[in-house]
Amino acid sequence: MYDIIVIGAGPAGLAAASTAALEGLHVLVLDEYIKPGGRLLGQLYEEADGNWWNGIDESAKLYDQAIHAGVEILLQTAVHDMERHESSWFIYTEDVVFSSKQLLLATGAAESPLPIPGWTLPGVMSVGAAQVMTNVHRVKPGDRGIIIGVNVLSAAIAMELHLAGIDIAAMALPPLNRITTKHARPKEVVEALLHASYLAPSRLLRIGSKFMTNPFMRQLGITFYPKNGVTMWGVPIQLRKAVIEIYGTNQVEGVIVSTIDKDGNPIYGSEENIACDFVCIDGGLYPLTELAELAGCPFYYVNELGGYVPLHNEKMETPIEGLYVAGNITGIEGAKVAISQGIVAGYSMAIRSGKQGLADKLQDALNTVHDTRRQAAIQFHPKIELGRDIIQKQWEKYQSRLVQI
Amino acid sequence: MTRLENHPILGKLNRKKTINFTFDNQEISGMENEPIAAALLANGIRTLRLHEETAKPRGIYCNIGHCFECRVTVNGIQGKRACLTPIKEGMVVQSGKHLPSPVRDWRVNHV
Amino acid sequence: MNDKEIIVCRCEEVTLSELQQTADTYSCSARELKLRTRAGMGFCGGRTCSTMIEVLAHNEREKTLKFQAPIRPIHFGKLGGEIS
Repeated sequence: MYDIIVIGAGPAGLAAASTAALEGLHVLVLDEYIKPGGRLLGQLYEEADGNWWNGIDESAKLYDQAIHAGVEILLQTAVHDMERHESSWFIYTEDVVFSSKQLLLATGAAESPLPIPGWTLPGVMSVGAAQVMTNVHRVKPGDRGIIIGVNVLSAAIAMELHLAGIDIAAMALPPLNRITTKHARPKEVVEALLHASYLAPSRLLRIGSKFMTNPFMRQLGITFYPKNGVTMWGVPIQLRKAVIEIYGTNQVEGVIVSTIDKDGNPIYGSEENIACDFVCIDGGLYPLTELAELAGCPFYYVNELGGYVPLHNEKMETPIEGLYVAGNITGIEGAKVAISQGIVAGYSMAIRSGKQGLADKLQDALNTVHDTRRQAAIQFHPKIELGRDIIQKQWEKYQSRLVQI
Repeated sequence: MTRLENHPILGKLNRKKTINFTFDNQEISGMENEPIAAALLANGIRTLRLHEETAKPRGIYCNIGHCFECRVTVNGIQGKRACLTPIKEGMVVQSGKHLPSPVRDWRVNHV
Repeated sequence: MNDKEIIVCRCEEVTLSELQQTADTYSCSARELKLRTRAGMGFCGGRTCSTMIEVLAHNEREKTLKFQAPIRPIHFGKLGGEIS
């Protein structure tokens, strides 16, 4: 029996585990991947101060801290079920059932795809898949690629692929259909990029913000967006072109690109072929919440947080006794915010375990979450603070309803 | 060259021990601790299975264990994810195969 | 290329046109859309296509697409396991 089990060895899970273990608790971390770090592993970008945020190094630091704090970490261990019985959690993995008094879900995020004709062909992968292949495994996803979906995440990963010397023939939009809408309309794509521009670590977005600051200029930016796109890090970024088909017999051989109007409709007769051997799709990230569902946690849809999130408060508590959440399962944000949330969860669980004198440390950790959020280099949703307020209000509403009952 | 030997920020590729395994009876060399999918891609192999019903080729999609598109048979055990199963010396990996599906037409009567 | 050939659920190969038609005919929730078409009921458990099914279903604030155990496929012989 552990005091705490943490599911997910990403930034939130590892930070929480270290924090709780340093307060004297017996902590086990489970993760199905072969290396600790989660999505942090693939991250690589230049910060405002010129230093590089290197996900491999950062993951190694978090892992070492956890090991030194006495945390047990089991990798390649997938959790397939969990249940609460007589105030203990039972966590089912392939070979062993683990038990603990408290449980933290730090399962992170999954990628949303964009459906495109031909997207099941080998060689088509999520943009995160290409990132991991390149930065973590150091294997080229291919010789020449196309990235479909233009947003903060795909722009950052395009830069990473370019940095690794991989040829990206173009970034373009997906074809317009009932699923892709907000990713396929140039106007909405520019809006989204614009909101992120002042924070984004890329030159395109910073330059973009200067000449597209008001709605009129924005319209102008879309209408007169250079026909051949803007080239950034050697990658042509096409906001007026959509990939309408990915083709190939047994694997990707190329894509068909069409010029689109400002609403995303293809202009017939404008189709052209681009040869490539891999394609990346980016439809954004959403919180990966399956285990919170099994636990019976209530859910709320908060667009600003990236989708359905389990109800939780600032201290990372859920309404389920002994169940905590931290990191991207609570909303899509960067790794630094996830680390700060993990520390909060660590103290919350330590306090619940009966450890004394941690109120100040918890308050400091809560303040750090806010500060980190404000200073974040990459913000996935421009209204993230609003999203956080929405879920906090839901929590208060839920608690007051419980009191009435 | 499909391996990224040099990287301006991440540095030189740390060459590890070579591991030999087979994929559909073909001898493949990969690097210690890397997943099957990475070793195969480094050898130019993208197709990991055929869809059980339609026989359409599939490869990795998410690369981190969520989508199960990369499932292969490893030492006789089905349903292993090639993206998160590290290669081992002498490992026998087989691609997923097309299966007979005589009841596929059920939808015609139910939609 | 028309919508008929766009796959949404990769595991069960359910197409966009089939999902749209079903959503329009029955004005259904994401869960009903899944049950009628099998989209999201394949090997991955719906992790890949669930957000797309939710977009196609009529706008809902309540989470109707549910996950059930086991959330990762597991061999029958491994169900249960030993308590540590």
